[in-house]
Amino acid sequence: MKSGIAQSTFLLLVCPWLAPAQSLQDFEKHVTEFTLGNGLHFIVFERHEAPVVSFHSYVNAGSVDDPGGETGIAHMFEHMAFKGTETIGSKNYPLERQAMDAVEHIYDLYDAERNKGAKADPKKVAELEQQLKAAMEKANSFVIPNAYPQVIEENGGVGMNAGTGEDSTNYFYNFPRNRLELWFLLESQRFYDPVFREFYKERDVVREERRMRVESSPQGMLEEALLATAFEAHPYRNMPGGWASDIENFRLPEAIQFYKQYYVPANITISIAGDVDPKECQRLADKYFSILPSGPLPSGPRTVEPVQKGEKRVQVESPAQPFMAIGYKRPNENDKDDPVFDVLGEILAGERTGLLYTELVRDKKIALEAFADPTFPGGKYPSLFLFFLVPNMGHTVEENEKACYQIIERLKTEKVNDATLNRIKIKERAALIRRLDSNSGMAEALTFYHVNYGDWRKMFTGIDDLAKVTADDVMRVARQYLVPDARTVAYTSRPPGAAARAQKREAQ
Amino acid sequence: MRLLIASVIAVGTLLAQTEVRHGTVSNLPSYKDLKYGPLPPIKPPVPVEVTLSNDLKVFLLEDHELPLVRGSALIRTGNLFDPADKRGLAEITGDVLRSGGTPSKTGDEIDVELENVAASVESSIGETSGTLSFSCLKDNTDEVLGIFKDFLSAAQFRQDKVDLVKTQIRSAISRRNDNAHGVVQREFRDIVYGRSTPFGWRTEYSDIDNIQRQDLLSFYQRYYFPSNILLQIYGDFSASEMKAKLEQIFGAWKSTQPAVPEFPKVSSKAAPGMFLAAKTDVTQTFFDVGHLGGELRDKDYPALEVAAEILGGSFSSRLFQSVRTKHGWAYSIGASWSAQYDHPGLFHISGSTQSAHTVDTLKAVREELDKIRSSEVTDQELQTAKDTVLNGFVFFFDRPSKTLNRLVQYQYYGYPRDFIFQYQKAIAAVTKADVLRVAKEHFKPEELTFVAVGNPSEFGTPLSALGLPVSPIDLTIPEPKQTTAKADPASLTKGKQELQLAQKALGGVEKLAAVKDLEYHADVEVQSPGGPVMQVKQTNSYLASGAMRQEIELPFGKQYIYSDGNTGWLKGMQGPQNLPPAVLRQVRGEIFRQIARLMLSDRDADRTVNYGGDGVIEISAKDGPSVQLQVDETSGLPLKLAYQENGAGGPGSVEQTYSDWRDVDGLRLPFQWTVVQGGKKFAEVKIQDYKINSGLTEEMLSKKP
Repeated sequence: MKSGIAQSTFLLLVCPWLAPAQSLQDFEKHVTEFTLGNGLHFIVFERHEAPVVSFHSYVNAGSVDDPGGETGIAHMFEHMAFKGTETIGSKNYPLERQAMDAVEHIYDLYDAERNKGAKADPKKVAELEQQLKAAMEKANSFVIPNAYPQVIEENGGVGMNAGTGEDSTNYFYNFPRNRLELWFLLESQRFYDPVFREFYKERDVVREERRMRVESSPQGMLEEALLATAFEAHPYRNMPGGWASDIENFRLPEAIQFYKQYYVPANITISIAGDVDPKECQRLADKYFSILPSGPLPSGPRTVEPVQKGEKRVQVESPAQPFMAIGYKRPNENDKDDPVFDVLGEILAGERTGLLYTELVRDKKIALEAFADPTFPGGKYPSLFLFFLVPNMGHTVEENEKACYQIIERLKTEKVNDATLNRIKIKERAALIRRLDSNSGMAEALTFYHVNYGDWRKMFTGIDDLAKVTADDVMRVARQYLVPDARTVAYTSRPPGAAARAQKREAQ
Repeated sequence: MRLLIASVIAVGTLLAQTEVRHGTVSNLPSYKDLKYGPLPPIKPPVPVEVTLSNDLKVFLLEDHELPLVRGSALIRTGNLFDPADKRGLAEITGDVLRSGGTPSKTGDEIDVELENVAASVESSIGETSGTLSFSCLKDNTDEVLGIFKDFLSAAQFRQDKVDLVKTQIRSAISRRNDNAHGVVQREFRDIVYGRSTPFGWRTEYSDIDNIQRQDLLSFYQRYYFPSNILLQIYGDFSASEMKAKLEQIFGAWKSTQPAVPEFPKVSSKAAPGMFLAAKTDVTQTFFDVGHLGGELRDKDYPALEVAAEILGGSFSSRLFQSVRTKHGWAYSIGASWSAQYDHPGLFHISGSTQSAHTVDTLKAVREELDKIRSSEVTDQELQTAKDTVLNGFVFFFDRPSKTLNRLVQYQYYGYPRDFIFQYQKAIAAVTKADVLRVAKEHFKPEELTFVAVGNPSEFGTPLSALGLPVSPIDLTIPEPKQTTAKADPASLTKGKQELQLAQKALGGVEKLAAVKDLEYHADVEVQSPGGPVMQVKQTNSYLASGAMRQEIELPFGKQYIYSDGNTGWLKGMQGPQNLPPAVLRQVRGEIFRQIARLMLSDRDADRTVNYGGDGVIEISAKDGPSVQLQVDETSGLPLKLAYQENGAGGPGSVEQTYSDWRDVDGLRLPFQWTVVQGGKKFAEVKIQDYKINSGLTEEMLSKKP
């Protein structure tokens, strides 16, 4: 089970002030759900503590849905969703559209020439490149840049952002409650009528984002290598941002195609949390979102990752101090063992009492950091149970790897005690209460549970699943899944002579 | 041309492939037609304030929405109080305060106890405050408050956790250059605040070596006492009951200390120029550009916030529009005035761009800064910036705890209680003329410090195209000092005594102190590894101020080096270039070891003189080189100098053995020494002559050939 905010499972416990069943019953009174005729689903959570509202749009499509050769296109569309509409962001839309069409036409000719490969005429390519540049400049001359986000900002919108993950794409921000209708208008129009203006400039921005997050980050490089090694076929092998050459070459019509296929109302869930009247929300939803034409629910990727046969290892050269990630194949989040993985994750990495901290960091002092993530990089499809190990000075990744395996082997032979299981259950219960303190956190969680488990109530009823997890379950799952054959190990290594080479360069 | 025509014609017949919706959408409702009702007036919750009998000041705020209780103590302390040779002490104290346990329980036992009830207690010490916080379910309040109080008043700092944190901070030091973003933030901050000031210095291995458990205890006892603390608690409790409970729990804690002094003031001068840290494992250049800023209480602060917002604060800001949207050069770009409560913050423009656009982007940054200083912003820009703050103002109050925390911060830093409303009013009153005036007055292009972290071999256009002197940043992490002896008061005294013996042997303190400049000519036989012996003529010139010049005549040409101790240049076969970091390190070592200065190290506050036993005096500079000086116990003359050199060839040990002492103008100086590097003879130096106080100037030394 995985949500962008925090792990959140919940246990049935006898508790004088908040028995979970009552709490769900009580909570339900504040939640209203409705589905529009086109399939778009809304979850409204009333919380009148302050005159503010959080909005969260959860699109059930992410980088796993990127077509071949177009990795990163889901992320690219996310950027285009801030570019405005026909009425927001254009000085003269008919002329702008014509200019944008001209760009595509020249781009077609340019691509056609380039695609001749060795037979391409370099002069022609250069000429077309010039024309392309001029056409883009013309199209951009009709743009009122960043008009769409500006409307949000100047109306007091805060926390405006979006994120593209493997499984989903999320759009979110907060408004003062008197801007409720403005949100309905803006959000519905960006999904109804997005204009893909400045597409190729934004493509450069997206390329920069990859340089920043992946290419210039040792952690990013390791993560990319781990995924590409662990997954040989399933698209979890690609980072959500995509590969450099795909980004540099994808085209506007491809992004439109992606949008048309995946941004159908039935594939979108929206939560509104805060100082609102649900009836008013329903009225406005009808008014603004009904225009979205319905479409068939898209299917997910058909590629299934084949069973891994044997350990895989990958070394990433990096001048950074070494660190390591280890991933074990695990089933998806709808598997019956999903709660057992969550409990395992807590046993290993729960705050100051998790085994990785107490043994590797605190007692053996061989790790600076050590943690685990039970569901990585996503949960909709079979994924990884991840370990991340950062050696302490004077200690190696090998040493940490060995110590980590010792802990895993112990989990297979010794039952975890009741005190540990109880602690985990109490902590998960409290985590849910703490989550209720945040409108934006609730808005996200409601959509996440609805989409991934079919009902937002899973946030509460997941307690039953977690309550059933026994010490035997933990041992069984560790034995079944945390095995060498299902393991991928990725680590950084300082190349031999790198220090000397760097010094030499420095001296030159 | 033919193609262009073809494409233009084609447009009319093309399917509109860029359009999502075919048909008209212009009848969609426009946001411009929406009307917004007023928000209810903001009524900030009013906390209960009470001072306990032991002078602990408490702020209580009831909030019954959820069955939770949370709180934090704000302690007047900070890493600005770190001793100069124990930087990192505050941070370590803040950490071990929690992990080192209380009188009745170890930190590990408390970890389990707290997590068993889903509670937490955490501690840290930052720049200008310490924080101890807790969070628990309502039912566990008493138990958790008891633990919280024990940490606040009787933390034990058990030795095993002191050791643990020291190893972790050493690891963090070893990893501090691994992420370019972290490097640029740190270097920018250190350069602008000044590397020798508490705002800009950094923790090195040697600091960690110096810090012992007793230091933590002393630091803790000095600052953690009731009247030095503001405690805030909010959540599901009754304030009157909580008041009584706190008196009961904390009342008996009577510790007192003299009032904590003011924090040191920011004392750095502008450091204009371009500073480059080379990193080969990145495809982007990460940059920070800016200078010292101001405080929240400054009267121009609201107008500066507006100016910075328009310059680079949002999607609609100028830098975002230009660098990101128009050029596509960056994903991350922004500007921030970053005022602080009690000291000037860092005005900075930061971002990252692909290596090849480094110069373009920095130029654009400078242009935008010039632009906002040369003409008024537009009405629309001003309105957007003000609306962004004013329409979002309600989010300062969307949780009761925000109001409580703000109030405590205001109290701590001596701000008026209604500061947030004063700010709101001031923002509403800002005019275009204000923005221009404050931009002209407070954004200072001539003082800009540019820090770039990236791969210069991929810049295309070199950084020098920006017309600023480029100084390299040396990212080498100083190794822990090779101190064999523990420094204690006795050994420090003995070290000075031994050094004073040497001073006498060399002609006395007055003679040494009178050396304003020193120059020698030498013949050097260099034993290159595996190669023939090379004859070299060398002239070294030093100023007492710390500058040096070296001219070396090699068989294949002449090489010149100049350094003022901080930067410098090198001219060899090719034209002059800035000193590469590795060479600069060596030169700084040379300057440090200049004999007249080295002998007077006991008078230099930045140097430590310690006795290591067996006639060895250890002299170390705060932030850099160190030597072991072997003196003849009877004559006091230096026999041998040993040091670590971390030059272009990597780290290694060097020993110089002196002989042939002669008198020169009342000083006694060596006319011959042997250099052994890594256990092998490297060079034999024979001095032709020394010139003392011949009137050398910095100008003469820095003159390029």
